[in-house]
Amino acid sequence: MAEAHPAAPVGREFNPWPVVIFIVLVCLAVLFLAPTAGVLLSSVKTTREIALGDLWSFPTRLYLGNFVEVLNKPAVHQYLINTLLVTVPATAASIGLGVLAGYVFAKLPFRGSEALFLVIVAGMFFPPQVILIPLYRLFNAVGLIDTLYPVILIHIAMGMPICTLLMRNFFATVPNALREAAILEGASEWQVLTRVALPLSLPALAVLATLQFTWIWNDFLWPLIFTQSDDKRTIMLGIVNLKGQYLVAWGIQGALSLVASLPTLIVFLFFQRYFIKGMTMGAVKG
Amino acid sequence: MERETGVWRLVFLALPLGVFTVLVIWPLASSFYYSFTNWNGFSDNFEFVGFLNFKKLWTDKLFFNAAVNTAIWMVAAVLIPTLLGLGLALLIDSRIPGGSVFKSIFYFPICLSAVVVGQIWIWIYQPDWGLLNVAIGAVTNTSPDFAWLAKPDTALGSVIAAWCWQHTGLAMVIYLAGLTSIPEDLLEVCEIEGASTWQRLRVVIIPLLTPATVVVVALNVINSLKGFEILYIMTGGGPFNSSDTLAMHMYNESFKKYLMGYGSAISVVLFIVALTIIGIYFRELKKVDEIYG
Amino acid sequence: MFSRSTMLMAAIVAPAIAAATPSFAQDGGEVSIMHYFTGALGLEVLQEIFNEFQEKSGVAIKESPIGHEDFKSGILVRAAGHNLPDVFSYWAGARTQFVIDHDSLRPIDDMWAANGLDNVIAKSVADGATVYNGKHYLVPFNYHYAGMFYNTKVMADAGITEMPKTWDEFLAMCETLNSKGVTPIALGSKNRWPAQFWFDYLVLRTAGTEYRAKLMDGSASYNDPEVQKAMGLWKELVDKGYFVANANADDWTDAGDKVARGDAAMTLMGTWITGYWNGIDLKPEADYNFFEFPQITEGLPNAVVGPVDGFVISANAANPEGAEKFLNFVVSDTDIQTKWASSRGALSANTGIDPSIYTPVMQKAAKAVADADAFVFNYDLSTPPPVAEVGLSMFSRFMDDPSKVDAILDQAAEDAKKAFTE
Repeated sequence: MAEAHPAAPVGREFNPWPVVIFIVLVCLAVLFLAPTAGVLLSSVKTTREIALGDLWSFPTRLYLGNFVEVLNKPAVHQYLINTLLVTVPATAASIGLGVLAGYVFAKLPFRGSEALFLVIVAGMFFPPQVILIPLYRLFNAVGLIDTLYPVILIHIAMGMPICTLLMRNFFATVPNALREAAILEGASEWQVLTRVALPLSLPALAVLATLQFTWIWNDFLWPLIFTQSDDKRTIMLGIVNLKGQYLVAWGIQGALSLVASLPTLIVFLFFQRYFIKGMTMGAVKG
Repeated sequence: MERETGVWRLVFLALPLGVFTVLVIWPLASSFYYSFTNWNGFSDNFEFVGFLNFKKLWTDKLFFNAAVNTAIWMVAAVLIPTLLGLGLALLIDSRIPGGSVFKSIFYFPICLSAVVVGQIWIWIYQPDWGLLNVAIGAVTNTSPDFAWLAKPDTALGSVIAAWCWQHTGLAMVIYLAGLTSIPEDLLEVCEIEGASTWQRLRVVIIPLLTPATVVVVALNVINSLKGFEILYIMTGGGPFNSSDTLAMHMYNESFKKYLMGYGSAISVVLFIVALTIIGIYFRELKKVDEIYG
Repeated sequence: MFSRSTMLMAAIVAPAIAAATPSFAQDGGEVSIMHYFTGALGLEVLQEIFNEFQEKSGVAIKESPIGHEDFKSGILVRAAGHNLPDVFSYWAGARTQFVIDHDSLRPIDDMWAANGLDNVIAKSVADGATVYNGKHYLVPFNYHYAGMFYNTKVMADAGITEMPKTWDEFLAMCETLNSKGVTPIALGSKNRWPAQFWFDYLVLRTAGTEYRAKLMDGSASYNDPEVQKAMGLWKELVDKGYFVANANADDWTDAGDKVARGDAAMTLMGTWITGYWNGIDLKPEADYNFFEFPQITEGLPNAVVGPVDGFVISANAANPEGAEKFLNFVVSDTDIQTKWASSRGALSANTGIDPSIYTPVMQKAAKAVADADAFVFNYDLSTPPPVAEVGLSMFSRFMDDPSKVDAILDQAAEDAKKAFTE
């Protein structure tokens, strides 16, 4: 969306709308940025300043100690590595499973497939606390407690419904004629999926990759329950645990929060080009 | 041919269904099982109590309170970000300089975790020096000290506002992607025909955005069900249960009062409600499919 | 200030991670410990303590810290999964009783006797906190005392030199403060529990410890005249404008900040507030101090209120010997107790502790507990968890609209009755 087209063909009278819209957007952006400014401000103040002065005032000096402390902690490095180790495979695998299931529901329906689809999609609608204890017993029985595997597996399972739903909807817009033509030319379903359907589905994949990455990265319930040692914990737990029983380190929490949100922002900036390009491609065939 | 398709179905579905059955269906089923017991979580000595937990739901005032709040939450958390996101997308799509900067600004809140978003908004709603009261004071030239999160009338609404701030960007991004797929010449035709902006929006743009709307609504519904965390952080369901949702109520009964059996009964109800919503959504989806399929 | 603590942190965390690997385990095996002492400070000092224990005993420690609120659900999930850690921190009182009643803890009478812990642990704390159903189960790691913490300078500016001993003196002091334009009392009841100390002390000072015990075990009711009287006194304070507005909007730290800034004069809170204030560079005595909750009805025993943080051993601990060694070590070793208590504004239950390790304010708190007739747990540790939920909600409802106090109490009486039978 960055491309600035020439505003209007030459010769027409001045159009005031772009200016008005621009001003409206600037106002909205300021409104939107205000809460974010809260995190920024907290991250460059000491806990004493936050407790005694007020948070929202402009800092008289830039205190970077919070960032120094956060970035120098070996524990924080470990948290970040663990979070990546969970997020990347879980994102990829949940999308992979969603692609497989979504393809069947969209292109190879069978008796009862709608009911099955309904059950899978319903799987995203309950509070995760419902299945906490049974899952804990399960992973305890197979000896996976205090490893990252349960967290990865659960995120795959919990992410599958949304991936299935989105991929099914997207595959549904891929014309059946394309599939039939490929099959007639001797392609297998696997080849239809990977060579025909998937390349047309880049936007859905990009949206899912961004969302799944963000959600899994920011989750703290599952790692909280399934990991125990500090060297297995994820970054969100690191942030949560900065809050002590009777103590709170606001400044450090703010700094760590900013550091922790960078990867998700980078992922978004990286993938967003694809989801626009892809959507346009989808439309061309429309 | 048909047999071959059957094999492929099996191959494609085996892994997804396997994972789903073991990690979602089975735990859910055992939760259903506990809803018929008086289990407290600690002890293995529990009894079957039949439908006692479900009967109790009828006399539990907090349950009804939570059900109403859940309905309010769902409607608001789905509608508001969707409409705001559409509005932002339309504004940004009108070839404004710095469009990508705006897009990143509006999207950024999604990158933050519920823990952080909750804390920032607690600071915004703080009665004495919170940004909101200070801003209202500056505009009206008074010094309000209204406690947004501490008053039963405003607690839920205040959390919803924070929620919308975080999720509007998601709807916006998807609508923006959808907008790029609307053929340019179609809009030019509108202009030549002399259609007003509103007519163009109503007759051409919004109908053509239906696929994007399907995605946005689905994502918002799922997200809003995940709203447990931010409520937990900002109000904890308080003050005195005024912002409880079913998920929060289930958590309180199970983990604070150690009534696992009763908590499971609440989640069974929640699940049935969810299935109904999905059923409705699914029916609407099929209508869309018929248009685009 | 931060660069030093960063280095300290690095020095502590690095060996701690190494220690987490089984290679450290020597002849004593390994003990898994789950605890809620999170936050930078708690974790740092605890690491030192764990390391020292590992060196001295040859028992390796596998640690799992979880923030306070998440700990409650975390421990329940692990109990339900039959995988409780060998040792975990827990709140003495009704919560521990609940776990014991469900056969999840291991009695430590033998270890207690063998190490002569009767002589180590102050009797006032030991009696209530460590013995359940006639057996020892818990060692007190530290305890806290709830008192009226105030801003020294604000009091001096208002011309208040003598702290109140009786209710009338207290009311007079509030009136003086109010007339000087200072809100007398800060309260941050957003998370409900900070309000409980008011209920505890008002009931204890007007109806006594015996009645309160009855209320806590369900043999008295929340709409009894005794409770009505206590709540009436509380309501009077609110009606006179002695409490800050919007107590339900604030966390206890916000209330602490208000006192620290001088917006309010005092707050009824546990001794952990000294740790919080020291952390933002306030000085004991010079900046803050406390007085005991004033006497109301004459002739009642002088009871003080507070929580005890303890360690317990789970019933099916894999390494009970190692676990017992750990429990004994953390409570008996005076160096450890000194290090721990002084680092976080807590009191030690170990009688061998030299009071001079405390700040002057904490010394006074220790003396207040020692001189008291009884030490009782605060509300949410005194009554079963489902009932505590009822009471805590009642407090915040009351703070929102005190005029409805009668209806609120009737409702609480009904809800509590139900909760006791569950």
